[in-house]
Formats: sequence, structure tokens, C-alpha cells
Amino acid sequence: MIRDALVWCLVAVAAIAVVAVVALAARNRALGAKKQQSEGELRHQLHISDQQLQLARAELMRFTTDLDRTLQEAKEAAEENTKAVLKGAASFLQSLAAEQTTLLDDVQRKYGNHAVLSDLLEVNHANAQMARKAQGIAVMCGAPLGRRKRAASVYDVVRSAQGQIRNFHRVSIMQQTGLALKASAVAPVALAVAELLDNAASFSQHDAPIEITFQRVQNNLCIVIDDAGVSMNDEDRQRATELLSGNIVPRLSQLGNQPKFGFPVIGLIARQYGFRVDVTGVSRYGGVRAVVLLPEELWTVEETPPAYEAPVSNILRTEGRPQNGSRTTHGLPKRGARQAPIASVPDPESTPPAPRSAEEPSRFSGRSLGAFQRGTLSGRNLDATSLEGSEDA
Amino acid sequence: MPDEHEPEQELELTSPLVPLFVITNGRALPPDHQYEHTALVMAAEGASAMAGALSPEARQVLDLITEGFLSVAEVAGHTHLPVGIVRILLAQLEEDSLILVRRPVPRAERVDRELVSAVLEGLKNRFGA
Repeated sequence: MIRDALVWCLVAVAAIAVVAVVALAARNRALGAKKQQSEGELRHQLHISDQQLQLARAELMRFTTDLDRTLQEAKEAAEENTKAVLKGAASFLQSLAAEQTTLLDDVQRKYGNHAVLSDLLEVNHANAQMARKAQGIAVMCGAPLGRRKRAASVYDVVRSAQGQIRNFHRVSIMQQTGLALKASAVAPVALAVAELLDNAASFSQHDAPIEITFQRVQNNLCIVIDDAGVSMNDEDRQRATELLSGNIVPRLSQLGNQPKFGFPVIGLIARQYGFRVDVTGVSRYGGVRAVVLLPEELWTVEETPPAYEAPVSNILRTEGRPQNGSRTTHGLPKRGARQAPIASVPDPESTPPAPRSAEEPSRFSGRSLGAFQRGTLSGRNLDATSLEGSEDA
Repeated sequence: MPDEHEPEQELELTSPLVPLFVITNGRALPPDHQYEHTALVMAAEGASAMAGALSPEARQVLDLITEGFLSVAEVAGHTHLPVGIVRILLAQLEEDSLILVRRPVPRAERVDRELVSAVLEGLKNRFGA
């Protein structure tokens, strides 16, 4: 009995278990199908989102490029505007400074014998420095450089540059050459050399020498500037070379609060007028050696005549200078009875008479008197008022 | 930029290329009584040979006065330089003992009239004229 009951129980349990297993399996299958369905949906949604993201990203990219371009354009426009404004102002300053230099020169000649001359020389020095700065800004803004009409010796061009920096007496030009720069090259080379000298003076001790020499290398004329300052490191050298080549022109806004015009200005004018500048050398003092290399189109071998006719070569050599015997023991010339005390200067209007030998004793004193008169006349008649200033000086 | 360069009007620089203060190398003006208009200057014996690195202007002055004495005013006239500049150049040349200078005879100074009358007064008082 008990066994039957047990068997039935077992059968019942087994049946329940089978039913449960079947039910669970069915549920499991249903769940799997649902999962697969939702996975498919999710995947689909992910795909859509992905596509949206791609679109959004592309759009962002476009906006960024647009923004960059607009910014660039705005910067360039601002640069152009600033340049245009500055160019006008700088050109104005430049012409004013040039005018003032001319005026100052006239005033210096007018008050040539007055104590005020030394002050005028200083004012002119300050003015020359201002003119250089104005020229530099004008060049940076694309304005043309001032122009000179006459060719000039390279020595004078360098002296002109020398006058445009503060401590100009530190600069010594070691030699004079018979080489001249063509008129078109005078102003740009003077400005470039002035900027290099200013650089040399700023980066060396305030009393260190700056030496200028000239060299002819093949068809080029080199102006070599040696300073005794600190030499540049490789990075500085590379940067300087880039700027001096004129390939890289920094924006005005990149020049900083204490703008360094020097190298960019040199680079621009060197490129414009066709010469080269190199500062990578080492000077004999361990400082920087700057070389301005002028191709043969910019210079000639002929010596330019001086701006005024110097009577030097025309002086008559008839009177003969006092000989050694006519000196006192202290080396002073003796006032001989009829020695020729005055240098004779020819009358500029008339052709110089043929040199006469000193063997005409009867006319000797008359001739020297005539020469004296001519000399004093030609000496005083030449713009006497404007050259010598007021007599009450 | 070189393309824009042409049409624009270029500034013509008319001032002398070498400014006067560079010619004098920043030297100060000599005192008034030195190298007056009428002072006579002449190159020293063998000065041209001794003169090494003179500026063209100083060389020009030296060449002018090689032949004999010339007054300062005349030197200025011939070189077309202001008298003051010539005086500075002469001071430099004299320092290098390249020139001889013959200063003008100083003018006799006027006796102070008040002093003389005071002396006269005193004499009168002392000796009773």
C-alpha cells in the first residue's frame, strides 16, 4: 500500500517536474526571441545615432574651417588696415623728418660760426635717428623708401648710416675705397647698414668698438660690420637668417611691445633692391659679423665726384712752399722778406694761367699780391652770407 | 610689395648724405678765441705723409693749406663747410700736429675809463693839482 502510494507520489513529482521543465524551456525560448529582437532594435538605433554623429562631426569640421578662415581673413584685414593707417602716418613722419633734416642743414650752415652750432649738431643727430625709425615703420607698412638722386661713395653711404644711430662715434670705418653706390642703392643700403649698426651697438657694451671694412669678393662688394658684443645662438641665427632673407615677414602685431623692426626691415628692403645680408659670421672680437653683400648691379668702380667742386687740385703750385731752411728752431715757418705766405687759390671764373717759374723777380710781389686778392675774393664770395653766418656771432 | 612700389610717389631726399655731426665725429666746438676767421693755418711739414686715416673733409682742408697759410674763413669758403665745422676739423688736425696755426694779433684792449678817472681823481687828491 505504502509502496503504491510512494510510486504515485514519485510519478506525480516527475510529472510536475516535466511540466515545469517544459514551461521553463518555453519561457526561455520566448525570452531569447525577445532579447534578439531588442538587440536588433538597439543595433539599429546605434547605427542611426552613429550616422547622426558622423553628420554632426562633419558639420563641426566645416564650421571650424569656416571659423578659421574667417579669423584668418579678419586678421589679415586688420593687418592690412593697420598697415594702411600706419603707412600714411609713417610716410608723413618720414617726409617731415626728411624736410627737417634739410632745414637743419640750412640752419647749421647759416649759424656756422655761432656757438649754437654744437646744439644744432645734436638736434640733427636726434633727428637722423627719428628719420631712421620713421623709414623703418614706413617700410614695414609697404611704403616706398626715400630716394637719392646722386650716386655716392660707399664710404659716404656708410657714414650716412653711422649718423643714424645713437652712439655713432663707436663706429670706425677702417678704410676708404674708390667704389661708389648707384643712386638707387644709396638710401636702402644706408638704412640697412644703419639698422645693422644699431643692432651691433645694442648688443654690445656701450663703449665697445664697431668696425667697418669693405671687401671685394668676385663681383660683389661687401660691407663688413664687426662688433664686440655677444654672439648669437643657433636658434637666433636661424631666425635672423629667415627674417633677413625677406621670405618671412612677421605681422606688425607679432613685433611685440618694444618692436624689433631691424631685421624684418632689412629683409624687406634687401629683397626689394636686390642685395643680401648675412649675420651668421663671428667677428674678430667674438661678436657678430654682419655682411651686406652688394651685387655688381648696385655699385661701380668709378669714384663719384664730390658734391662741390673742390679747388684742391687746381691750386697753383707756382709760389713754392718755404723750404726747410726757412723754419725757426721751433719748427715755425720764418716770415721771410718776400716769401709766399698765402696759399694761392685760382680765380674760379678764369682759366688758370700757365704756371710761371719763379724767375721773374720783378713781378714776384705783384703776382703774390694778385694771388692773395684772388684767393680772398674767391674764398669770401662763395655764398659768404649763407656759409659763414652772421658776423656778430 | 615691390609691385605696389612703382606707382607711389617716392620721397626725394635732398639733404646732404653725410650729416655734419658725422664729419666732425661728434667733437665739440673749440672755444671762441681759437681759430678765429682771420687766424692763419698751414699744413705742417710732411703732414700729408703723416696723415693716415683722415676723413675726406679733413684731408681736403689739409690739402688746401699745404701750399701756404690760408685764413680760417678762406678754408671754410673753399671747402663749402660752415666755419664752425672747419674749426672743429682744424682743432683735430692741430691735436695730431698736422698743422701750424698763426693766431691773429690780439687787438689792444681799451683801458677801463672809470679806473683811469679814479686814478686821476686819487692823484689829484693826493698831490692837489
